[in-house]
Amino acid sequence: MVIENPLPHFAEWFPAAAVSWLLVAGVLTVAALVLGCLVSVLRYGPGAGLGAALATAFSGVVDVVCMSPRRVAALAWLAVKESIRRRVILVFGLFVVILLFAGWFLDVGSSEPAKLYLSFVLTATTYLVLLLALFLSAFSLPADVKSRTIQTVVTKPVRPSEIVLGRMVGFTIVGTVLLALMSVVSYFFVTRGVGHTHEVLAENLKPAGAAVNGRQPLSGTTESSQGHRHKLYVDASGKGVVESEFGHWHEIETTAWGDKPSFEVGGPEGMFQARVPIYGKLRFRSREGTDVDRGINVGDEWFYRSFIQGGSVAAAIWTFSNLRESQFSEGLPVEMNIEVFRTYKGNIEKGVLGSLSLRNPRTGLIVEVKVFESKDFTPLFIMVPRKITEFSSADVISSKRETPDKGVEFSPPQNLLDRRLAERKEFDLFNDLVADGELEIWIRCLEPSQYFGAGQPDLWLHAADASFELNFFKGYFGIWLQMVLVIAFGVTFSTFLSGPVAMLATVGAMIGGFFSDFLTRLSQHAVLGGGPFEAIIRLVRQENLMTELEPGLRTTAAQMADRVAEAGLWVIAHILPPFTEFNYADWVAYGFDITWDPWIVVPTLRALAFLVPVFVAGCFFLKTREVAQ
Amino acid sequence: MSPQHAFARKIFYLIGLVLLVAVLSWLGQPTVGEGSAEGKEGAASGLGLPNLAQLRVRYKLSEAQLGEIDPAGSTIKLATLGLRGVAANILWEKANNYKMKKDWTNLSATLQQITRLEPHFISVWRFQAWNLSYNVSAEFDDYRERYRWVIRGIDFLREGIRRNEREPMLVWDVGWYITHKIGTADEVKQFRRLFKEDDETFQRWEDYRPAADRDNWLVGKDWFWRSEKLVDQGADLRKTTPVLFFSHRPMSQMNYSEAIEKDGIFGEKAKESWKKAGDEWFEFGARAIPATEKDRYIHLNDAEQFDREAADRVAKLEAFEPGLREKIRKERYEKLPAAKRKAYETPPEKRTRDDWEKAQEVAEQLIVTHDQLARQISGPNRQTAIKLAREAAEFEKKSEENRLYRQIVNFEFWRERARYEQTPEAIFAREYAYKGAEALANADLIKAREMYEQCFAKWRQLFDRKDFAQLKNDDSLGQEIVGIIYKYRQVLEKSDKPFPKDFVLNDILELHEKNWRAREGK
Repeated sequence: MVIENPLPHFAEWFPAAAVSWLLVAGVLTVAALVLGCLVSVLRYGPGAGLGAALATAFSGVVDVVCMSPRRVAALAWLAVKESIRRRVILVFGLFVVILLFAGWFLDVGSSEPAKLYLSFVLTATTYLVLLLALFLSAFSLPADVKSRTIQTVVTKPVRPSEIVLGRMVGFTIVGTVLLALMSVVSYFFVTRGVGHTHEVLAENLKPAGAAVNGRQPLSGTTESSQGHRHKLYVDASGKGVVESEFGHWHEIETTAWGDKPSFEVGGPEGMFQARVPIYGKLRFRSREGTDVDRGINVGDEWFYRSFIQGGSVAAAIWTFSNLRESQFSEGLPVEMNIEVFRTYKGNIEKGVLGSLSLRNPRTGLIVEVKVFESKDFTPLFIMVPRKITEFSSADVISSKRETPDKGVEFSPPQNLLDRRLAERKEFDLFNDLVADGELEIWIRCLEPSQYFGAGQPDLWLHAADASFELNFFKGYFGIWLQMVLVIAFGVTFSTFLSGPVAMLATVGAMIGGFFSDFLTRLSQHAVLGGGPFEAIIRLVRQENLMTELEPGLRTTAAQMADRVAEAGLWVIAHILPPFTEFNYADWVAYGFDITWDPWIVVPTLRALAFLVPVFVAGCFFLKTREVAQ
Repeated sequence: MSPQHAFARKIFYLIGLVLLVAVLSWLGQPTVGEGSAEGKEGAASGLGLPNLAQLRVRYKLSEAQLGEIDPAGSTIKLATLGLRGVAANILWEKANNYKMKKDWTNLSATLQQITRLEPHFISVWRFQAWNLSYNVSAEFDDYRERYRWVIRGIDFLREGIRRNEREPMLVWDVGWYITHKIGTADEVKQFRRLFKEDDETFQRWEDYRPAADRDNWLVGKDWFWRSEKLVDQGADLRKTTPVLFFSHRPMSQMNYSEAIEKDGIFGEKAKESWKKAGDEWFEFGARAIPATEKDRYIHLNDAEQFDREAADRVAKLEAFEPGLREKIRKERYEKLPAAKRKAYETPPEKRTRDDWEKAQEVAEQLIVTHDQLARQISGPNRQTAIKLAREAAEFEKKSEENRLYRQIVNFEFWRERARYEQTPEAIFAREYAYKGAEALANADLIKAREMYEQCFAKWRQLFDRKDFAQLKNDDSLGQEIVGIIYKYRQVLEKSDKPFPKDFVLNDILELHEKNWRAREGK
């Protein structure tokens, strides 16, 4: 699975993030106060204006701090009843209709049908739920203001903060119930949709090997189903094995053995997984033997992976920390997804050979435990046993890094290397190779003029298998976070804007959030074709992204305007929540567990970091409206 | 606003609506009936103008006439609420992104959505099929996966054909991918084997030919034939060069013949195959190929006939006054300045650049055209001479034009190739070369030497035939034989035997070894 923006662990992330948040919140609060004072002074004069502003600010703080949970609950219940009255259940109906016709659009014969189905249901749910949240939140308050039903609420002893929070909570409850229903329906849709079996016809099986006790082992293929078939082998005792194809295999049971064998093939296995990965930190060893942050670029336009040269000392090195003996008592389950780049075809019947080595970062002992045949775009699993008795080579080496200030640094220092450590016939994984929980895994390409490519998440330790069902529902938690953010923005915008305008503003916030990566790159001038004004010129003149614009006044003016616009884009990209961060579809589709730390905890706290100021802003906007006074 | 104003405004709107509906209903009314005269002539409107439905029928533009109707596609088009172009652009951008990030599952799914939105935009099908079969397949290291993606691209094209049944280029593309992507890839051996064994794919294509007949060249040839049939029925070739388009079917037979010999199949089967290739090449030469000018056609076989017609007329023309052409040339030469004559007389290897320019000018000035010759003839034969000159010039021009078209498809080379490859000498020569290479790979030097020597003997027999007197000048064949001689040399070196001075194909080495070495970098 590709993880372009890995999240740091909570302990690593929280202190700096909390400080940043407090700083930004403080700056915004002061800015809002100053602005409020300015507006008030202009309206009422210096003394009265300042007094009014400070009084409003103080009463606002009181409003937020002294909210009554009972009143919030009542207003939330009001919001729920309003949503039911607006027939939100139709959204669920629409979702079911989409699923019914989804078969027209989903290719069950795809090489990864589970991934396709999972991506589809998560995406479809995201769009529907966010649309629901948008319409519910953006139109609710303005509709109440227009119909004057808001008067029945504000004339009661209700704080504006309770109104805002009540709406947010109420719509969240409605959205959560719908999301829960959709997730259950989606689960059955996916599992039924890709579920299949195969027939095995005895007449299509051929003898494979010598007969044992008069029974002949057989091999052949299953019948085709969903655009594929599997190779199978049945031994003399009738025990069958079905080979993996399209990312899954089947259990096979021999129901009759002898002259006319018959078999029953079960459902697909291995399609729905939730691997718990432990990722390491990646660095590379160049062909000169020096440690570097990135490997070679073989001409790929995507810089996610870099490459190591085969037949040299070059290696991709992952450093794992906090490894516990109790977690891996049987051995180390290593899984990897290495890309292969050939500079010449060579023997195409076989994959390019590589080796996996384990190294102790403290002593420098390195043991080459496995030579493997690579296969790109397919995860390769290697179990390194606790007691390593079979290995290709053992040595003691230092890693070498060049630094501008300290020159060449060796780790461990070369004079401290003890070569006797390598002169043994057996190694213990934890006693010899893991040092204070740290271990290095080295991947090398063994064939000259061929290359292996890797990104940091391309090698992981398969620590455990979590429950797919729980992981599936964790995927929906990401959608829930997005929904809550949209509701918060919608309700806040609706406190001072009319319904349609609030909707547009919320849509703008969503678009900005979904494309925050792109906006950040645009603001850093890292996108081909220049900024917004330069892009307008290119569109009108039908020029492509690569050619330079003609130098002149127009180009200069556009580029200067772009500098200003880029600053604005940077601000927008950073004040809007990055919605893509809350999207766990890939995790579920690729079969990786969405680990609590950091993938649930950090995004949840990030969402909260946006929710709090948005809520506070909503409270103040509503408070300052006449209808609420 | 007063009630009268509001009422007047409503009446005004009503009249506008009625007028618009009337125009729309006239435009959109269905055809009178397919078989009726009005239906065919489009006079149902009563004004002599066809309505939209009739135009649709006349130009075969309705959905049902373009191809199979896809309910999913229609649904997705409706769902975009008029933003079909925007949606297609977004999907295309996403597809590029998935391809960059090597997310093949999502790439395939996105391409399917794009084609659902724009099923009749032929370039989408062609471009993305190419993307799948050529670009995406190359990303995989395992040749089996590469083959799967080649087939996926072909399946993508076949889907396009279902939606656009009268589009010959999509059909032609299928033929191309099956013949060339499978038959000329680096992993050609593996691809051809996988293709023959691919029961799944043939079942999906509803092609039930036995496995032995599943040669990719022959299967692709059938697709080229289908595309030709569509063009013969009036389908548009768009910007494709017709001579290239029609050449691929017979070329597939040529390539098949070559392929089976590379696979070690010779004898009668190879002979029949080359004969069939020659016959089909002749049929291709007899086909009327549209020329660049409208309503003009070329038959590639005709060049020799034009040459004969021209030569015949020239002979008759020169018979009126034998030697007149030479006399005119001599007179012109004597009138030339001395410097130019000197440049012209300088041997080519000693000419300077200025000499070359002058010599070229002299050569052009010394050309006596048939018309110039005819006008020098006096007496009663003059008019006949002028007529003969004009006709000879026309035939020469036709021949030249014909040969230009021939060059596009290397017509003469392949015609000659089919002719000599079907001879027993050539078939045996290739068989011995194959066995020699096999023996060399198995380190059986004695057998390898024997086979190679028999191979060379057969080529000698062929070159010595009067009907193949010019064959040894064929650069392609010559270099191929030099390559085999090179392997023979290796066998002799390994056997400690010298290369014979009286080697049976010394003339071939003289003619072609230098070029071969330059090409091979040896």
